[in-house]
Amino acid sequence: MMHRTPLILGKKTYKDISDDICALVERFPSPRFMLGLAGAQFLFLIFVLVQGAIVFKGLGLMGVSHPVGWATDIVTFVFWIGIGHAGTLISAILFLFRQKWRTSIARTAEAMTVFAVMTAGLFPILHVGRPWLAYWLLPYPNQRGPLWVNFRSPLIWDVFAVSTYATVSIVFWYVGMVPDFATVRDRAKNIWRKRIYGLLSLGWRGTAHDWNHYEMVYMLLAGLATPLVLSVHSIVSFDFAVSSLPGWHTTIFPPYFVAGAIFSGFGMCITLMTIFRALVPTIKDYITMEHLDVMNRIILATGMMVGYSYGSEFFVAWYSGVEYEQYMILNRALGPLNYSYWTMVTCNVLIPQIFWFRKMRRNLWVMFIVSIFVNIGMWFERFVITVTSLHRDFLPSNWGMFHFTMFDFGALFGSFGLFLTLFLLYLRVLPSVSIAEVKPVSKVGYEGGEHGHH
Amino acid sequence: MENINDLKPQPKYWMSLEQWTQDPEFLKMAENEFLSSPLSSEDGKDGWARREFLKLMGASLALTTFGCVRRPAEKIIPYAKRPVEVVPGIPDYYASSYFDGAEGLGIVVQTREGRPIKIEGNTEHPANEGGMSARAHAHILKLYDPDRATGPLKNLQNEKKTNNQTVNITWDKLDQEVVEQLKKGKVAFLTATIASPATKELIQSFASQVGGKTYEMDEIPYEAVREGQKLSYGDDVVPQYRIDKAKYILAVNNDFIGTWLTPVAFQKMFSKTRNPDENMSKLTVVESLLSLTGSNADERFRIKPSQTLDFLMGLAYQLNNVMKVGGATANADILSALKEYAQVDARLGLKEGTIARIAEEIAHHRGESLVLSGGMTTGGKDAVAIQVVTNLINSILGNEGTTVLAGAPLNTARGSYKQVSDLMKAIKDKSVETLIIYGVNPTYALPEASGFQEALRNVPVVIYAGDRKDETGFQADYIPTVHHELENWGDLETSQGVFSLQQPTIQPLYDTRSFQDSLLAWAKGLGKKSARLGSENWHEYLKSYWKSEIYPKVSKAGTFDNFWVDSLKSGVVNLAKKDSSHRSFKAASFSTFKKRDAVPEMELVLYPTVGLRSGELANVSWMQEFPDPVTKLVWDNYFTFSIGDAKKLKLSQGRMVSVKVNGQTIEGPAHIQPGQAEGVVGLAVGYGRTRGGKVCDGVGINAFNLAQPDGDQLLTAGFKAEVTPLSKRYDLATTQGHNTMEGRQIVVEETLAQFMKKPGGQIHHPKMMTMWSEHKYPGRKWAMTIDLNKCTGCSACLTACQSENNIPTVGKKYVLQGREMHWLRIDRYYTGEPEDAGVVNQPIVCMHCDNAPCETVCPVAATTHSDEGTNDMIYNRCVGTRYCSNNCPYKVRRFNWFSYTDVKQPLNLAMNPEVTVRNRGVMEKCTFCIHRIKFEESQAKMHDRELKDGDVKTACQESCPTNAIIFGNINDPNSEVAKRFKQPMMYDLLEELNTKPSVRYHTKVRNAAQIKSHGKEEHNT
Repeated sequence: MMHRTPLILGKKTYKDISDDICALVERFPSPRFMLGLAGAQFLFLIFVLVQGAIVFKGLGLMGVSHPVGWATDIVTFVFWIGIGHAGTLISAILFLFRQKWRTSIARTAEAMTVFAVMTAGLFPILHVGRPWLAYWLLPYPNQRGPLWVNFRSPLIWDVFAVSTYATVSIVFWYVGMVPDFATVRDRAKNIWRKRIYGLLSLGWRGTAHDWNHYEMVYMLLAGLATPLVLSVHSIVSFDFAVSSLPGWHTTIFPPYFVAGAIFSGFGMCITLMTIFRALVPTIKDYITMEHLDVMNRIILATGMMVGYSYGSEFFVAWYSGVEYEQYMILNRALGPLNYSYWTMVTCNVLIPQIFWFRKMRRNLWVMFIVSIFVNIGMWFERFVITVTSLHRDFLPSNWGMFHFTMFDFGALFGSFGLFLTLFLLYLRVLPSVSIAEVKPVSKVGYEGGEHGHH
Repeated sequence: MENINDLKPQPKYWMSLEQWTQDPEFLKMAENEFLSSPLSSEDGKDGWARREFLKLMGASLALTTFGCVRRPAEKIIPYAKRPVEVVPGIPDYYASSYFDGAEGLGIVVQTREGRPIKIEGNTEHPANEGGMSARAHAHILKLYDPDRATGPLKNLQNEKKTNNQTVNITWDKLDQEVVEQLKKGKVAFLTATIASPATKELIQSFASQVGGKTYEMDEIPYEAVREGQKLSYGDDVVPQYRIDKAKYILAVNNDFIGTWLTPVAFQKMFSKTRNPDENMSKLTVVESLLSLTGSNADERFRIKPSQTLDFLMGLAYQLNNVMKVGGATANADILSALKEYAQVDARLGLKEGTIARIAEEIAHHRGESLVLSGGMTTGGKDAVAIQVVTNLINSILGNEGTTVLAGAPLNTARGSYKQVSDLMKAIKDKSVETLIIYGVNPTYALPEASGFQEALRNVPVVIYAGDRKDETGFQADYIPTVHHELENWGDLETSQGVFSLQQPTIQPLYDTRSFQDSLLAWAKGLGKKSARLGSENWHEYLKSYWKSEIYPKVSKAGTFDNFWVDSLKSGVVNLAKKDSSHRSFKAASFSTFKKRDAVPEMELVLYPTVGLRSGELANVSWMQEFPDPVTKLVWDNYFTFSIGDAKKLKLSQGRMVSVKVNGQTIEGPAHIQPGQAEGVVGLAVGYGRTRGGKVCDGVGINAFNLAQPDGDQLLTAGFKAEVTPLSKRYDLATTQGHNTMEGRQIVVEETLAQFMKKPGGQIHHPKMMTMWSEHKYPGRKWAMTIDLNKCTGCSACLTACQSENNIPTVGKKYVLQGREMHWLRIDRYYTGEPEDAGVVNQPIVCMHCDNAPCETVCPVAATTHSDEGTNDMIYNRCVGTRYCSNNCPYKVRRFNWFSYTDVKQPLNLAMNPEVTVRNRGVMEKCTFCIHRIKFEESQAKMHDRELKDGDVKTACQESCPTNAIIFGNINDPNSEVAKRFKQPMMYDLLEELNTKPSVRYHTKVRNAAQIKSHGKEEHNT
């Protein structure tokens, strides 16, 4: 009889699964973990200092200038928003398609989404000239007339898209964790631990009633989250597509951005999963080579989609006959910032081609390195879109250059500090693999594993 | 010790053992009222005892208050509006005068609550007719320069006059010491050209009273013009060049539009000849560097500065010997002198027959053409010869008496290096005991090679009437710190018979005193009371001068008091008579000339810039951040190289070069200038100040120091230069990112022939359609037209806008990042082959688009559309997303990257209270001077009338010397702007974007056979 490669390795019993996953939350962290956390917090400190200086002194500290009104802050914002997409895709869309392999990575992917959106959300606030007034972008009743926001501005759509996305992601993530919180609660020996996780588990008792409601809510939320995968990045792309700037003003942006987001999301997913596996060896049985292989295939596919988009931009520039478009695309490839364009093409289109080979898809080092390149490439993709379009537009007299400053790098790398700090803390305090979802897909109880097969 | 109980007598109450024991020392002390002396201590160690201190304090307090009586009331009369007193919120306008060293302008000073905030042109002044120069605008910021000295200074010089410690001194003390010194006699004056007739008389009579001599010098020398006139016609004058009467203008290494003599007046006249019709003038420029004049040329040729004389001789040869135009043909001397210039085209690198063709064209316009030549770039040994040949050509062409008029010459450029060298000789002969310097900064503006700085050290006492301890001030013994011109009375005679007054518009900010008052005080101290020297003060003197010298010449003036008030009001008294001079050329002078300048392979020339000129405004940040109209570089001077030379020397922009010239080696950055002649290196003067103030010190290289004395002449050009490229690089900050139009329709140029056939025929109009209904403008709709054909690119509007709208400067570091804040910028594009580039200029303001891309994208509705068509910026709503700037195709928006409003005191006084200063983190841009619109609207409403066309003038429009900018209500069909807006030669910038701008451009019309290429491809209709 043919049968699939098991989704969970190591012939786990249900108790093993509970023990393995809860151990991360229950045991004192290893020195290796502490070292990782210290590193993340160091980066986070840089982020705090850099952003503090910018808020205190002025945006002029960054490389952003005239005519490049948006630069690394927006690039990094779009980058992090894009990262988030893989999580929702894995947890919601694959859930609806009943892809069982998703179960063991869904939680972490979703955590990645939440933290990425949190990190991303800071950037639009911190990139404005007067961040202390950024709340004016929210349409709230006020005594200024009342003065409303400009609903025609894509930035307002952005506010709604990102905040909706953040809300739904957090709720979906939280609801999924409720049965697992109950497991942690039930295993807890410390009274405070019991109380905190008890509170978080919302009085979960594991009755059929509970499960019935839970599954219903989870499916509804999955249904709710699914369009967001498409909508959020489409709307983020409107920030660019709605403007009149050559290089921004294009209709391909929504699908192009979504494909890119999924691409970058899976890239980041691979990065984190390989790190997770390296830091916590027991997790290898849950996040198996099969998972990584599947994700690498998605990277390959979406990588080619973005490659197609890059190509179509050339075509449209030629086909449109608009001299500004034509100049813009040539300037991207051959102008003074061409390094960013070719970094993008190399990292996003060329390097993932290595995943045509099964061996490469299943090599941890290869996939780790490729995933890093994908991250770099996708950051540069947004850089290419944002900066190279702005720096040379309609009137040649306005043309300018973009120069990075220390603060650009500080904000970018510092944001990884924020993200990683949140992620590492998550690994310690929340069940990082869905116990409730993994157990049903393990082979316990039927088939009896390989040796049970005569 | 004795038993203390044995001692006697014992007081009942005692406070120390000493008292109880009746210690003799204690008893002695107790006799005093206080235990320690309230007066100075006995031993004299404590020099400032309390009581003495209080006594002095009280006395000085009393004395200070005593000294603080109000200045005697000196009535000044507002220009157009006559408030009883200063009305808060209402600006007052005072007619006044400005003299920049060579050009005199009639100005109107706008004051708010007693402080001047802006200088505008006086439309009634015949010289500039309301036109302004960028420097004249920037003059106001010098008033508020924080580096000005706040009171009289005395330098305690050592023997060598190098180690100087500066102390404050009171005016009384200074006067006393100066008078003592003046009693020794042998007084010399070194001044700039004094264009104020009353001041001139005052200095003269003071000098004659104390037995002194006066010397005049100009930092930017024009002495060759006078010298040439003297030799050619026997008149020591600078004639009036009536460009407005010329149909053909030939400028040979002469930047009359940018920097030569009186550029504002010249531009005014030039623009009058530039209407694109059959009377349109043609401007042919032959030059070495690319000047502002060259960038306006219809046709332009490149020669080296040292070849200027050859070119002019060649032209004279063609006109005189070949074509036999005019009356000079018969003179044998001239005929033979010109003979050797028969075939100079090839030698000058011009196409064969070029000079003959120019001669042909110019001869066509006999009596209505004008040849101008000379300037710093031809300040070589041939400088005077060049003027003489130019005069010859003008005489041959019959221009003398029509476009060159000497009957009422310009009252400028009297200074010469000869006078400086005379002064140095006098110092050497020990016949100068006291040197009084006023209006010039010779230590800076004269090269060390002249020996002036050394000579100054040998003058026993130097008095420098400047406004700070600058380069010359450092070498002086006394600095009787002078008022800024806006704090002082004065007058001005721009050309013979055209008088204007200068009135103070603010109480002096500091403890300064006008130079004229100083002279009067010293005259008083010396007991000289003859003539007007006995006047109470300078104001009295001035009034008396006008009463006796000018008033009698005016017919129908009424009483003097009325005349005085009227003159103050209008700012100008025009007594110029119709100039019908006609002089004949003195042929005898001609044959003596031989070309003296060699033609080195690489020659260095010095040139003045439009922004800094001789550097007197170098400490005004507006002028340092003033994009040079040609290079668009700021905050530096640089060696300019032609493209050919740059290739040869393997130079790139900003590469450091070492230039060896006249035995000096200077390092500086290279700027590669399209359109510059090969074999020439240019370097601008006005930079490299060392003691001018915090803004200008150390910016650039002092090019004046490269000038070379040659007998009685100071050479400024024709130096053999050896250039060595260095490996270092230097960042040159520019405000313009790219210099060609890449074939895009940005500036549309047409030839005059094309224009006459079909105006605007070269404009490509895309087919536009829209799904949306358009904005309704039921009342007024504001719009602007900019005439690119009239615009010379002089950039006066840019500084006018800066002054009007409180626009900050950001410094070189941030200009490098493109963060300059100018609301109005002038884009300069090169056309044609880079080696022989043409230039077009395009002022860019906010277009106030009907379909404004910025408005839709602002998330907080901080930039909105008004029902009068303006695109308004609401600063306090702006959160600074900068989306508007990204979406603006014209990129006219500027962002406050840092807090730019915390300016140093008293620079804040220059702020226009009508215009909000912008916070950090907000976007700003041109507002169409909305505050002026609103002010005029409320004025109209108050007087219950409609707004008339021309009531509202934007700051840029007001300052434009060529009237290229027209602003008004386009819904009024009779308004100037409405009439122009729909004309076929008007076009929208980036029309294909359907932004529907409220600013339209008039095509640039060239009176030439063809237009130079605009980039890769051309639009054809």
